[in-house]
Amino acid sequence: MTKNNLSQKLYSSFREVIIVLAIALFIAIVSNSMISDNTPLFGFSSAALIKEQQAKIPSITLSEAYDLYLKKKVIFIDARDPYSFEEGHIVDAINIYPDDVSLHTQNLKVKANQGFIFVTYCDGPQCPLSKETAHALILRGIATVKVLVNGWSLWLNAGYPVSKGKK
Amino acid sequence: MKLRNFSRPFIPVFALICRLTLAIIFLFAGIEKLINPGDFAVAIYNYRLLPDYAINFVAVLLPWLEVIIAISLISATNTRGAALLSALLFLTFATALTINLMRGLDISCGCFGASSGNINWSYLVRDFSLFCISVFVMIYDRGWRYFFV
Repeated sequence: MTKNNLSQKLYSSFREVIIVLAIALFIAIVSNSMISDNTPLFGFSSAALIKEQQAKIPSITLSEAYDLYLKKKVIFIDARDPYSFEEGHIVDAINIYPDDVSLHTQNLKVKANQGFIFVTYCDGPQCPLSKETAHALILRGIATVKVLVNGWSLWLNAGYPVSKGKK
Repeated sequence: MKLRNFSRPFIPVFALICRLTLAIIFLFAGIEKLINPGDFAVAIYNYRLLPDYAINFVAVLLPWLEVIIAISLISATNTRGAALLSALLFLTFATALTINLMRGLDISCGCFGASSGNINWSYLVRDFSLFCISVFVMIYDRGWRYFFV
């Protein structure tokens, strides 16, 4: 194949790519604008979606969590920062901040296969960290996750076992 | 119009089979995504690769692009361009898959709309195979006219 022939073929290929792309773009925009409940072309909100996904994560009550703890079927995941964790946490809890979930995924999957339930918690009824960690775990294929809302305060006030320091 | 008498028919016939296979895959994938663009937008978001403003645009454009590629491949008009686009798409899908498999995310592939399984390494093999098929079609396909005199 001569150099001229090759460049001609390349040119015609790129021209065809532009034609196919232009047709698809035209039809996509026109057809989308004709639908009554059309998709806003630049209006996707990941914040709203995350909120919606996090709202679907099941929560657990303090008594249910304590019951699972007594049966040794639960792994508590403290989603607060490491300093708060060191000052005090539910006994045997693991400290996993939402951004660090990927570092623990393999170990947690092994535990999940052994039948453990994961309960994430942080402090305060509005604290988003427990839901964020739970959401990150679910995204990585760990389905048995529940959220104990305001978990640390509830657990501490109930006088259930706690410990201090790193783990 | 009658069927042409081939001296060495293997490559053109194989290219034809590849072209039609690609077309069927794109047609099915495109239509499945067109049925529910909202779900497809969520699938794109789950890959965590595009900014928010690009997600809906891609969710609206990509299904139609797949359908137009399929029509081009079936009708053998702009075949080389369609096959080149197909190869680029499969390369993009494979890259997105690899990044998220490395991240350890367990998300829906979104490859065929709602009827897609979660991503795994076999999907990468599939994408790479389809990429190779696209390149083969781009180089060797002769269109419908070649088969008739």
